[in-house]
Amino acid sequence: MKPIKLTSLLILAPLLFFTSCKKYLEEIPDDALASQNAIVDVSTARAAIIGAYDGVQGYYAGNYPTLGTMPADNVVFNGTLSQYLQLDQNAIPADNVTTVATYQGIYKTINTVNSVIAYVPGLNDPLLSEAEKNKILGEAYFIRALGYFDLGRGWGGVQLQLQPTTDLSSAKGIKRSTLSQVYDQVLADLIQAETLLPDDATTRNRAQKSTARALRARLHLYRGEWASAEKYATQVILNTKYRLTPAYAGFFTAPFLSTESIFELTFSPNDKNSFWNLWYPSSAGGQFTLKPSATFVSKVTDPSIGGGRKALIAGTSPDSYGVLYNTTSSSTDPSYVIRLAEMYLIRAEARAQLDDYTGALEDLNVIRSRAGVPDFSSLSKVDILKAIEDENSIEFAFEAHRWFDLVRTRRAGEVLGITNQNYWLFPIPLSDVLSDPDVIQNPGY
Amino acid sequence: MNPFYKTSLLTVFYLLLTQLITAQTTSIRGKVISDDGRTPLEGANIIIKGENKGFLTDKNGSFTINTKAPNVSLIISYTGFETQEINTAGRNTITVALKTDKKQLEDVIVTGYSTQNKRFIAGSIVTVKGADLKDIPAAGFNQLLQGKATGVQVSSNSGVPGGSITFRIRGNNSINASVDPLYIIDGVFISNTDPIQTSLGNQQQSNPIADINPADIETITILKDANATAIYGSLGANGVIIVTTKRGRLNSKAKISFSTYYGTSEAAKKFKVATGPETALLTNESRRNTALDGGPSVALIENPESQPTFNRTDDLFRKASTVNYELSAQGGSDKSTYFAGFGYLKQQSIIKPSDFERYTARFNYDNYLTSRLKTGTSISLTRTKRNVSSNDNNPKGVINSALYIRSYLPVFKPDGTYALYGSFDNHLALIDNLDNDAVGWRVIGNFYGEYSFLPELKLRSSWSIDNNSEYENNYTNTLLAAGISTHGSASSFETKNQVLTNEQVLTYIKSFGAGKKHSINALVGNTINTVLSQATSATGTGFATNSLTAVSVAATRSGSSSRAQSKLISFFGKASYTYDNKYTIDGSLRADASSRFGINNRWGYFPSGGFTWRASQEDFIERLGIFNDLKIRVSAGLSGNQNGIGPYAALGLWNSGANYLEQPGTAPSQLANPDLTWETTRQVDGGVDFTILKNRLTISFDYYDKYTTDLLLNVPVPTRTGFVSYLQNYGAVSNKGFETSIHSTNIASGDFKWTTDFNISRNKNLIKKLASDIALGASGRNISILKEGYAVNSFQLYKQLYVDPQTGNAVYEDVNKDGFITAADRQIVGNSLPNYTGGLTNTFSYKDFDFSFFFYYQEGNKIMNMNDFFLVHGNAQANIGFLPRQLDRWQKPGDVTDIPRMTIFRGDPAINNSSANNYGGNVANMSNRYLEDGSFIRLKTILLSYTLPAAITDKLKLSNVRAYVQAMNLYTFTKYGGLDPEVSSQSGNQNTAGYDWATVPQPKTFQLGINITF
Repeated sequence: MKPIKLTSLLILAPLLFFTSCKKYLEEIPDDALASQNAIVDVSTARAAIIGAYDGVQGYYAGNYPTLGTMPADNVVFNGTLSQYLQLDQNAIPADNVTTVATYQGIYKTINTVNSVIAYVPGLNDPLLSEAEKNKILGEAYFIRALGYFDLGRGWGGVQLQLQPTTDLSSAKGIKRSTLSQVYDQVLADLIQAETLLPDDATTRNRAQKSTARALRARLHLYRGEWASAEKYATQVILNTKYRLTPAYAGFFTAPFLSTESIFELTFSPNDKNSFWNLWYPSSAGGQFTLKPSATFVSKVTDPSIGGGRKALIAGTSPDSYGVLYNTTSSSTDPSYVIRLAEMYLIRAEARAQLDDYTGALEDLNVIRSRAGVPDFSSLSKVDILKAIEDENSIEFAFEAHRWFDLVRTRRAGEVLGITNQNYWLFPIPLSDVLSDPDVIQNPGY
Repeated sequence: MNPFYKTSLLTVFYLLLTQLITAQTTSIRGKVISDDGRTPLEGANIIIKGENKGFLTDKNGSFTINTKAPNVSLIISYTGFETQEINTAGRNTITVALKTDKKQLEDVIVTGYSTQNKRFIAGSIVTVKGADLKDIPAAGFNQLLQGKATGVQVSSNSGVPGGSITFRIRGNNSINASVDPLYIIDGVFISNTDPIQTSLGNQQQSNPIADINPADIETITILKDANATAIYGSLGANGVIIVTTKRGRLNSKAKISFSTYYGTSEAAKKFKVATGPETALLTNESRRNTALDGGPSVALIENPESQPTFNRTDDLFRKASTVNYELSAQGGSDKSTYFAGFGYLKQQSIIKPSDFERYTARFNYDNYLTSRLKTGTSISLTRTKRNVSSNDNNPKGVINSALYIRSYLPVFKPDGTYALYGSFDNHLALIDNLDNDAVGWRVIGNFYGEYSFLPELKLRSSWSIDNNSEYENNYTNTLLAAGISTHGSASSFETKNQVLTNEQVLTYIKSFGAGKKHSINALVGNTINTVLSQATSATGTGFATNSLTAVSVAATRSGSSSRAQSKLISFFGKASYTYDNKYTIDGSLRADASSRFGINNRWGYFPSGGFTWRASQEDFIERLGIFNDLKIRVSAGLSGNQNGIGPYAALGLWNSGANYLEQPGTAPSQLANPDLTWETTRQVDGGVDFTILKNRLTISFDYYDKYTTDLLLNVPVPTRTGFVSYLQNYGAVSNKGFETSIHSTNIASGDFKWTTDFNISRNKNLIKKLASDIALGASGRNISILKEGYAVNSFQLYKQLYVDPQTGNAVYEDVNKDGFITAADRQIVGNSLPNYTGGLTNTFSYKDFDFSFFFYYQEGNKIMNMNDFFLVHGNAQANIGFLPRQLDRWQKPGDVTDIPRMTIFRGDPAINNSSANNYGGNVANMSNRYLEDGSFIRLKTILLSYTLPAAITDKLKLSNVRAYVQAMNLYTFTKYGGLDPEVSSQSGNQNTAGYDWATVPQPKTFQLGINITF
């Protein structure tokens, strides 16, 4: 080739590129969808609701149970990471990693289900049956209800975001609601969910009609609506799909999804939950950041209090460790969101409040006898309520219960010594306080 | 070398050939040698004045010419030497010794897309010779620039060989976009993306520039101001580093060089923790106090004074060795030149078990296909191998597992197996079993063709690839804590970072007019640049035995992959005009379009302009008789930064992989920003360079003012939107500073020579605009903060005023004076950026001996000593021991100390001067008690070398033999209490600089070496 030809080629090459420049510069990812194509047909609608469950998994795997236990008295800090020390000491700054991550995780999930609720009804895909559409929508309403319920009991009256975020300006102007308004929204969503969702005899890791009812029973309990709490708890208890496992440890023994489980989030080798890592000592490969408190260990190993529930711990004092999350080799522990045992204790508390002591004791003793501890009997309302509170503490020791129960019953001061009621709510994340003109921080932070 | 000279050389050469045939009559024999008195110069031009005839010397430097006249004047020229005219005066044999032209060599430097004469450049540019960086046992040439160039702040993040470094040219321009400069090697834009995926804590894992063998480098040019960098448009704002590697010379015989050195390194200072009895005593004291305060009563350790002490930290350190070999050959024929170089480096870390090994090969070749067309190639091939080890915030790191465990706890269980405590692993288990191999293969190649239409007009087209592949295989066996639960776990990563660049540049360089008073140096060009990042990973858990380590045989396996590509199209032009060697005006403009930018802002334009006045050329300055040279420069321009915008950051996306129940899921991941675009840095630079005292003192001074706008920021947005942040162009940061360098020839008499080089740089960084404060760092402790009105890398902490001598409780400053200690009482108490950095080099030579020493210094930076935080904890960390500093705690009323009374009582954390906030509570981790001054002056290198005299080397048929001894980091003057003040353990994020956290310190090295040239 003569040099001059080579030269002209070299000059031509960029010119050619220049003309097709615009197209040349278009690059799209192969692992993400453009927002406008996110929910457009049956497969994307299914993917979106699966993505919402994944979001719930995200904050329920470890963070939410940590928030429900660590600020109370069953679990203490034993590691190096400050966020857990802060929770244990109830000295929680607004940028505490765990509270921030949980708050973000819940709202992220709410945004996903808001999109499902907004876009799925308008889909015209012949492959998307009406039944499936209703199921997806019902699940979305349930997940939103669960999200706002968990926000409400942790942070108080949060901001109610009910539309998907398409751009930032659309989100402006939403102020904080009262806790009661948040719970109203939860109720409204649960009613929708109960209507839309199917019910079958086996599903425990996706929302069903009875899942919505179970959460509703808990909502009524939190609101002190005893009759409704009793009513919905009863509906679930009467569903033959649910039975307490004969032994306490049955519900957290592989392959999981026990008959006692009303709603649990399933993990798998491809979708791991390594929460066990925070509980196990390093000799078993863990970090041992979360440790059963000495008082809890002495209670749970007491045959008249813990009974079979001593299966929650292993090792010897003072190095006992919690084994509710125990799949150390596979990291597939489920998150236990609602169990049948809770329905009994909800009904027991509701009945006690309604002065039906016999009924209350009956339910309480169902749980006690399953754990192999002697029946409790008393005719004093105060004593019965205290017994139910203690039973909850042991029965759900490492699940997201104890802290929220003590706050709900306003006994966190008396039982835990946290007299400053400001600390009964978690702080709104610092980044929200800085970036959101519509939010007001919880008092005391 | 300026291509202009090469071309002239060639033109002359061909002219000579054609003339040669017709010549006859008188014959003159001669020899051309260099001014060292012995080296023959092959290929020197000899022109007979007035006859338009010329000849070339042969490989012995000899020539024979025939001429009609007995007395002729010969003009003898050779690149790199001063041209000499000599009259034959009737002689038939002559020997001419040409004088080295130092000025010419130094004056022509590589700049953006061209070479220019330094005397006329308005931009702020530093050049460093490859020779100044050789034989220093550090893997990356960028690391070796520490203290050598003004305006450049370099520090190693740890003492791990081949480990990451912090490199900033004139400060941090950005917050979220990269602040690393653009590296260009022989015209190849190279990737500075760390390819290692194995998590090593929060540190950047490696220095990708360590793939380049410093021995191959001829020169390094650092472009600092906008005048110099605007031509690189949206890639230039952080400065540009242009590396030119060695090439052969036309008509030169092969020069073969061999170098080797051996070094041994050790820690200058080692970790020291409290003994077993001390730890037990402190623990009991805290338990007693806690119970007294009303906290839980925990049983005391019995017989604290008879507790054993297990020294773990000494097990970490070793005498580490470094070996290096270099072999190279360079030379050229009349039409082609070559350089081939091979290198091997193996360097151990002073802390077990990590090491670094590198093989490099380079081949540079140029060929004149015709008198007008030249082609050439530069190819380098590198293989690196690292045995990596995690540290800093990973409790299962080697240092963590030795440093933090309480010293009274035995290393082994009674049955002889490894004992494990708290969150930590067993340090000996790690040292013996850690198996994380990272093998990198890197090809950097360039092929170019250059065609000269006219001597002054050339077109160059260049095609380049940088292909960086990393293959990692990790196996965690069941003797390690992380492998216990999984029955062994393995992971394998394959990562590819690839940069493809094509560029065309048309250059016009010409001087014209009477006395060549007018000079023009102009170019136009374009580039097309594609950056591809790809990664594939596989992990497996559950192995039959520790002898089986491949992912493929694991019981449970999973895999993942990712791919991202971005493209950049650019057009650029630059021109400078010089009048009468006095005044130069220049300007440049670049237009960039990037696939990363939002659709509304796809094209960016980056202009610059500058003016240079060589005042020393003016008669009135010359008459002063003070200045040998005086140059005044001013320039201004814009450059951009697009690094840090992810390839798809402008798009609104739902991410996939949000799976549940083995079904695929999607979820919103980012909001669209169609306006997303580059960051723009506006920079003004003024400088003066002058030489006085008969060329003995050269001083260069620069002042600059940089202002970066449209910062790419992940602006926090209300969480309730479902998003945490939104990437947008918002915010501004300013960097202002000055730089001075001084070169002085103190003594240059006969055999003795003494020169001094000193430089100092000052940069002041300030965030001018930010949407809201961004707090981050230290594993969620949010100690680092970005805040408007403060510098980046600031530390936000509670300020401890004193420890109350009566109560022993720490008292903190109540910033908002509300009577409580809350998050609002955190304040900025310093930052990790030094005020001043610089270096001082003294070089002495006497006959065949050379002696030099080099100090590096930095002043004004703070270090967050996380080791101190974790180990002076008042017993709040149940599984961690103590530093001896804990012994200084308050014990009884009247004690004056800054270490408060030991207690972990959990009281109301809002109350100041309460035991709740001594070690826990609201100030759990945020006290400035752990923040220290990190200023230091370090004797970085001290070198003594001896070159064999020519008489001996000639006998040995060698051209040069040099042997040396060198010591590195021999002594460090600092007040810092940790092991080493040159540290940044959280360097994975540029905004969390200045932490010291279970990190390998800089080694002290002694080294022996020899260089032989055949």
